[in-house]
Amino acid sequence: MKSKLFYLWSLITVALLAYAVYEAAFVAPMEATMFDAQRIFYYHVPAAATAFSLFIINCIASIIYLAKRSAWADALAVTGAEVGVVFCAVVLTTGPIWARYAWGTFWVWDARLTTTLLLWLLYISYLILRRSSEASSTSVLAASLAIIASLDIPIVYMSNRWFRTNHPQPVIFTDRLDPKMGLILMWNIFAFMALGILIAWFRYDLERLAQSINTAHIRRAARGSFAVILPGMLLWQTSAHWPPIRYFHAGAADAWIIYIGYIVLLMVKYSRLKKEAAELRT
Amino acid sequence: MRNVSLSLDAGRFYVLRGDNGAGKSTLLRMIAGLNEPTEGRILVFGQNHKDARSLMGYMAHASLLYEDFSAMENLRFFSRLYSIDSDALLEAAIRRVGLDPRLDRHVGQYSQGMRQRLSLARAIFHGPSLLLLDEPFSNVDPDSATEIVQLLAGMRNEGKTILLVTHQAGILSDIADEFLVMSRGELVSRSTPQQVHA
Amino acid sequence: MSLSITRLASVNLRKDLRLEWRSKDVLNSMLFFCLLVVVIFSFAFDLTVEETRRIAGGLVWTAFLFSTVMALNQSWARELRNGVLDAFRVSPAPAEALFLGKCIGNFLLVLLLECLMAPLFVIFYNLTSVGPVWQLIIVFLLGTWALVVNGTFFAAMSIRTRNRELMLPLLLLPVSIPAVASMVLATAEVLTGESSPLLQIKFLAVYCVVFTTACFLLFDTVLNAE
Repeated sequence: MKSKLFYLWSLITVALLAYAVYEAAFVAPMEATMFDAQRIFYYHVPAAATAFSLFIINCIASIIYLAKRSAWADALAVTGAEVGVVFCAVVLTTGPIWARYAWGTFWVWDARLTTTLLLWLLYISYLILRRSSEASSTSVLAASLAIIASLDIPIVYMSNRWFRTNHPQPVIFTDRLDPKMGLILMWNIFAFMALGILIAWFRYDLERLAQSINTAHIRRAARGSFAVILPGMLLWQTSAHWPPIRYFHAGAADAWIIYIGYIVLLMVKYSRLKKEAAELRT
Repeated sequence: MRNVSLSLDAGRFYVLRGDNGAGKSTLLRMIAGLNEPTEGRILVFGQNHKDARSLMGYMAHASLLYEDFSAMENLRFFSRLYSIDSDALLEAAIRRVGLDPRLDRHVGQYSQGMRQRLSLARAIFHGPSLLLLDEPFSNVDPDSATEIVQLLAGMRNEGKTILLVTHQAGILSDIADEFLVMSRGELVSRSTPQQVHA
Repeated sequence: MSLSITRLASVNLRKDLRLEWRSKDVLNSMLFFCLLVVVIFSFAFDLTVEETRRIAGGLVWTAFLFSTVMALNQSWARELRNGVLDAFRVSPAPAEALFLGKCIGNFLLVLLLECLMAPLFVIFYNLTSVGPVWQLIIVFLLGTWALVVNGTFFAAMSIRTRNRELMLPLLLLPVSIPAVASMVLATAEVLTGESSPLLQIKFLAVYCVVFTTACFLLFDTVLNAE
């Protein structure tokens, strides 16, 4: 089935996650102003770091694809986009849960949040393009879109920096980050990036398998992904007046629902593809 | 398409036959530069086919013409794409396919046969050395078909190379130099009319 | 005659203008659409003059955005009828010439629409500008070009998709968000006269340059993505 290395990596990931999540939930010091709700930070920031890395991978893979037309580059591009969208969904759902407690509102239009939202929208349109286009042209069109989308990101960031100065700019990171928190944050970043690599690895294999049997089914994998975000959105029904720890639990649950939901979806697709590949070989 | 590898000689008339879905139109489109092969190269008169576009003329199932333009207006536009500025050349091409260049009627009002002829004129006006024709006789009455066959034979005699896809290979048996047959994406056979009749 | 891009672009442009003049498909539906949009918006938003100046930017550009998308959806339709696009691709003419011609044609069309809609907005909303109108004109020109160049590019991409008409706004809107935000803000700034739109104008100019270049370079790839 899958290579030994993959299983090894899964074990490493699980170990890292267990450690990091434990530290974040129980060991990290309580933050002075936001109490336990601030712990969502340990889910939110690593997800953002992973998502952005994956989107960068998509951008680079797309450029390579247009230059060399290699199938692996195309597989890597769609992996980066799809898994990136999933992690970005975690960012965009845990953020508002936290914001609800911290500022009483779900959303503010500051540079970072707006850029993240836009990235998410851009990559969803990328996935939709992949799904709706003619099979022979999908890879080329998607790669071109990825390049245009990547040009947009710095522009959005700059535009938001300059234009929204009238609005309050809440500080997301305080400069005086407790070093203990910083350390635990680093562990969480490693752990969730490891998870990101694991999921991406799986998704990449899926795509290569689909390429080899030349099927269109894999494009429909994206359909299920949207459903995964819905349970996350239900958690937004948070009132502004819960005890802080409940926000943390809501945020954590939201993140895990999305991650695990997506992994289950991939496993279902994988088994279906394996069956088809086996049938084709007989 | 699977592993199609062939070479054609200049100045000959090739007819490509085969069942539906055999890949005949796809082959023509690949040579014309409209579809990309997943592997391999295509050379036309020794150059990469993308550099030899002005040497090729392509005619498809669709007419490739603007409905709201007249014959001359259509050809004038296309001639600009080939850096050709002479009306005389266009008029000659239109006459050669049996139409009147002075006709002001829009192509939208043409009959199918007239459209087919104009489409052929569009493919040949720039004097290409290689003609890629996909079903040029499909909507044309038998007399017109014979005229077109004679026209094409004339062009072959002038030294042009013709690769023609058709289901009606019968009318070409006297004119064609070679018949190619494709099936399920592969080139299955090549034969000359003598061999076919024998 | 050479195959220079600008000359070929103008050939394409003249052909498009002439064909559009003959059939007037796009123009007629667009004119009526403009009127409908302005009327609907005036029912939806019932505002004082001061308030209007503040949000006029958003109103106007939303209306223009809708109209642009509708116009752009038509932009390649003519080339797809009878497969004419294949005739272009088979010729030695460079794809960029086709793209430039189409962009300019669409630009002129949308500009025409804006010129027709603007007076309607002024009438229905009693809109007058506190700031100088020439600044408004620059914002409109840059903003329109930004929408049109991306729109023409994505419309060409949408040719090879299943839901062509839906695909275009889906692709265009996310990418255009920074430009639209800028246009709206600039328009509000000029109309209210509260601050100088110079920063927005510079931003729009940069946006136009970046995306025009990117779309130009990628168009050939997208056109021949088969």
